[in-house]
Amino acid sequence: MRHPASRRSFISAGSLGFLGLSLRNSLAADAVNPNPKAKSVILFWLEGGPSHIDTWDPKSNSNFKPISTNVPGIRVSELLPKMAKRMDKFALVRSMHTRGTDHPQATHYAITGHEINPAMQFPSVGSIVTKELGPRNAVPAHILVPKWDRTRQYEEYFRAAFLGGDYDPMCIPDPAKPGFQVTDLSLPKTISQASVDSRSAFLKAVDRRYRELNDTADHTNMDAFTAQAMKMITTPAVRDAFDLAKESDKMKERYGKDSIGQSCLLARRLVEAGSRFVTAAGYHGTSWDTHSDNDKGHRDRLAPTLDRTLTALVEDLEERGLLESTLVIAMGEFGRTPHINPALGRDHWPNCWSLALAGGGIKPGQAIGKSDERGANVIDRVVTMGDLFATIYHALGIDWKKEYMSPIGRPIKIANSLDDRTGSPVMELLG
Amino acid sequence: MKLILLLCALPTIAWPAAKVISLRTVPAQATIQGARATQQFLAIAKFSDGAERDVTAQAEWRIDKPIAKLTGTARVAPLADGTATLQATLAGAQARSLIKITNATASQPVSFRREIAGILTTRGCNNAICHGGVKGQGGFKLSANALYPADDYDWILKGGGYQVLTSEVKGERIPRVDLKNPQQSLLLSKATNTKPHAGGKRLELDGDDYKTILAWLQNGAPFGDKNAASLTRLDIFPSMAVMPLEGQHRLLVTAHFSDNHTEDYTHQALYTINDGEVASVSAAGVITAKRRGETAILVRAAGQLASAGVGVTGAPLTNYPKLTSNNFIDDHINDKLRRFQILPSDPATDSEFLRRICLDLTGTLPPPARVREFLASRDPSKRSKLIDALIGSPEFVDYWTFRYADLFRVSIFANALSAKGMAEYWEWIRNNIDTNRPYDEVARERIAIEGYKPPSRHFLPYAVIATPQEAMGEQVRVFFGRRMDCAQCHNHPYENWSQDQFWGMAAFFSRMFRMGSIVMDHPTNMDLGTKDVGGSMDLLHPRTKAAVKPAVLDNAKLAITPEGNPRRELARWMTSHPYFAESTVNRIWGHFFARGIVDPVDDFRSTNPPTHPELLAALGADFVKHRYDLRHLMRTIANSRTYQTSHKPNSTNRDDVVNYSRALPRGIDAEVLLDAVTDVTGLPEAFSTAITDGATVGQAPTGTRAIQLRDPDTFYSRFLELYGRANRGAVPERSNKPNLSQALHLLAGSTYTDRLSRPNGRLAKLLAAGAPDETIFTEFYLAALTRAPDAAELSELKSVLAQRTDREAALREFVWALISSREFAENH
Repeated sequence: MRHPASRRSFISAGSLGFLGLSLRNSLAADAVNPNPKAKSVILFWLEGGPSHIDTWDPKSNSNFKPISTNVPGIRVSELLPKMAKRMDKFALVRSMHTRGTDHPQATHYAITGHEINPAMQFPSVGSIVTKELGPRNAVPAHILVPKWDRTRQYEEYFRAAFLGGDYDPMCIPDPAKPGFQVTDLSLPKTISQASVDSRSAFLKAVDRRYRELNDTADHTNMDAFTAQAMKMITTPAVRDAFDLAKESDKMKERYGKDSIGQSCLLARRLVEAGSRFVTAAGYHGTSWDTHSDNDKGHRDRLAPTLDRTLTALVEDLEERGLLESTLVIAMGEFGRTPHINPALGRDHWPNCWSLALAGGGIKPGQAIGKSDERGANVIDRVVTMGDLFATIYHALGIDWKKEYMSPIGRPIKIANSLDDRTGSPVMELLG
Repeated sequence: MKLILLLCALPTIAWPAAKVISLRTVPAQATIQGARATQQFLAIAKFSDGAERDVTAQAEWRIDKPIAKLTGTARVAPLADGTATLQATLAGAQARSLIKITNATASQPVSFRREIAGILTTRGCNNAICHGGVKGQGGFKLSANALYPADDYDWILKGGGYQVLTSEVKGERIPRVDLKNPQQSLLLSKATNTKPHAGGKRLELDGDDYKTILAWLQNGAPFGDKNAASLTRLDIFPSMAVMPLEGQHRLLVTAHFSDNHTEDYTHQALYTINDGEVASVSAAGVITAKRRGETAILVRAAGQLASAGVGVTGAPLTNYPKLTSNNFIDDHINDKLRRFQILPSDPATDSEFLRRICLDLTGTLPPPARVREFLASRDPSKRSKLIDALIGSPEFVDYWTFRYADLFRVSIFANALSAKGMAEYWEWIRNNIDTNRPYDEVARERIAIEGYKPPSRHFLPYAVIATPQEAMGEQVRVFFGRRMDCAQCHNHPYENWSQDQFWGMAAFFSRMFRMGSIVMDHPTNMDLGTKDVGGSMDLLHPRTKAAVKPAVLDNAKLAITPEGNPRRELARWMTSHPYFAESTVNRIWGHFFARGIVDPVDDFRSTNPPTHPELLAALGADFVKHRYDLRHLMRTIANSRTYQTSHKPNSTNRDDVVNYSRALPRGIDAEVLLDAVTDVTGLPEAFSTAITDGATVGQAPTGTRAIQLRDPDTFYSRFLELYGRANRGAVPERSNKPNLSQALHLLAGSTYTDRLSRPNGRLAKLLAAGAPDETIFTEFYLAALTRAPDAAELSELKSVLAQRTDREAALREFVWALISSREFAENH
């Protein structure tokens, strides 16, 4: 006779694997940061992919000069003068090595850690963070701002896939556009309290007969969601979180009055109010995808807005005492080629690229990893997307070794690295 | 074993009225070879109430000659060679089995291959979530369920482990055995948790299995006969174990070997139950019922997997009626309902039927006039006439074009197609639906087509997603209802598929080639004027790095010519394989019943058995017989009594979700629901897009329905997002579960608020015509719910209305409530 208890627990862990997490998690207890500082994440999404050698990893094959920063030994491109003065607030990673040579593939990879697979959909890092941490203060936990106006497919990559619709990002319009309003968070003026009451009374009358017959879990869940939705709609703090009119003109100016700046400003408001993962994706209209005239694009449009908004965001978070609890990541889906093409542009380069981090317990004032003299290859300290995800999870106190079971029982690593390995947190970044 | 014996000793007294009519023993004859072998027997009694039950534990067992002995319940162990008769007796009935014993006295050392691999399996050590996982656990790897005992043997004796992407053995070389000090072997000290083991205690110190392993170690840890026959298949008796509440049923597992001999593996297998609430299963394969319901038991041994159904029936009903049967579907469904003593719900009312059939066949609600006409008709064959009228109607063609555009993934963004190419692909689908083209032809064309014409040029795996393995995975999922993906990197943990089989299948798709960022199928008859064209691409096995030859799952020999397109042969093989017909009928069945006979509809595997295997086979055979005619299949389903059953539960079927004893209410798909909102309110949805490329313009024509959008992913719709329209970037998976965003949208979203204030809708027209309250309520009920409100509802609606001074506003609130109700949002 075997021990009934251990036998039973083994059976549940060993059936189709849906309950198998418990065993794995018990093995992975060492993968949780006991003192996480970060409570939320702002992903400043540099759509199109910045040229790393013209920004955070200056090289001689860039036409821009490197300048020194307020951290001895770290130099950045002359296109980032504001960041240079604040480098002690940032950490750079100059050794990203990832997958995906075109935008859809690379964006999918950067947001999910997995290559596109027509056989299944993967949850995004934002959905995973939202699921693991849960919402705060009734504020929508996962936000994407602004939503794409043209290539809607990108939005799919940010969704929660099999984790369920509750972890999908709320995709909201461009806050820099006049008449900006968030859908579904406030009742139209035509709907008075009397209307709300009357609606409920009618609904009860219509639904009674059917629901007496069919008392399903879906119905109970929908009731709970309706109550929660009502609370969100009637809680002023929730609406206020989305209300940029509450910011001074000076503050708007500081972030920049374009969609890049206003998305980041809104991200700060949301994080302040309780959101967990906000993607500020203000570069839809002015992408970093400089296949022609790379230098002009970086000099005139791209680097100045990045320099302005990223510095403003980090300074503002610090002034509000939110920097330590907010992990800021500025990155695109890849870097750009070390060589210039015939159109004077630079093309896609996932092989070696850079990103910037701040806050959330990240140890600032350092540059992780090294690329070769042209920025073509990583020569020291490869950081994969799985490593970056693991770093994010570690900063937030999430078990980065965790695996989810897909609906058909395939284990999906939440920090998926190259060659089907789990990434490791970049511990140098975590102080 | 005390507890089990005690339970077995309980008499089946739940049916005092039922008498034993006859008794049989299983197997009827058995050969026991070797001193270590045993044979389990079962006694099955037929009772006067028509039921068959396992009475192994209640019967009295006797062997007529002293060449064998009984160990445990009805388990026979050999003593000497010869033949004997085993007899079971119960309540005056008797049954006999013949036993033949050979090699009873030959000495047989414990071998790794049989005994130790068996222990590693039954103790769960090599389970897919423990050491049998892709990379093992804690640095120790075993093949899942001892599929590769020779590898396991090496890893245990020498250390190291399997690598996913290379055939090299990597990892620390830590032997798990210590032949000098057998008791110190990690194999024992970890399993008994004497040394800390993350998997906990698996073996009792000095228990039987412990002693077997120790004896094996003391004997030098032999592998056993390397050339011995390998286990090829597990058979489970019964395939469906049915028992009453508090009842028990024993399983008999027979292993078939490559040299055609069989052995009893009942006590060498690992049993796990899918739903432990319904029943439990002991290590000896004895199932104990816990509550009414059905589930499956998975049996693993020597790398093989098999499953058996388990059903726990309710108390027998007095005077179980003869159920109506319209066709063979009902015969199968009724048969099982009777076995489980479940009564189907009443026939669906005309309203229920009308709403359901219109949604299922056309994705469109019937307008009030049609509802009135149908309800008023006294024609006894009005239902079958309606089915005939709906099938092939323009709405039907729209709707099924949409369904197949979903499954076949017509998408500009996901496919990186031009609007023109996408439109051609969509036309191809629509034409197939419109002409009711035999589905095997559709499948063959989609699998094998070459060159620039649809569906090839515009079919995602060739257009943007490059790899042969992904293209193969999609075709197998869509046309075989199976998911091979797991086997890409390792042998499938829940299915008897190996990594080699996966790559053999993938190799059919390796003749695609890349031009720039576009990947195309190999155009054997095209001259594209570029040197990229024409070569064949070898697909390399990720572990062995050897070029893989195309090979189908059952190793059938296909006539593949070197210069030909191997996908043509694959397409022929796939569409003539029973998997094709069965997975297709299952997909369609799932559409009509909210649940597949195998569920999810594209997750066929041996560990996910069908609820009605005979029905599935019969539907498949009928589909083949009728030349893969989807309309015929739909007509057969829609005319069955089973389909035309109410959703209103009765006392015997409230908990039943797998026997089709009542219609299962389910959320309506996003596109259909949005169209329904449009129809009920009489206010069309405006679909707009920013894409102005070629065929697509910024605005869909007014009145376009969501199911008519050819390129839905270019159109924005908050509603469609929230209600889970499919992402065509992957094989669609829809979840129609409610979520918070839906609740927000219901309360404050444009679909439910702005829309209701717009002029010219159904409400405005009724108001303009001076319709009284009751007419307005009734018209909306007919439009939304395909029924009129009953008297109680009418009076309640009127009293809510009376509390508001602004009649028009209040009626808008009523319409809001109607389209927010679950009765509206669900198909039932």
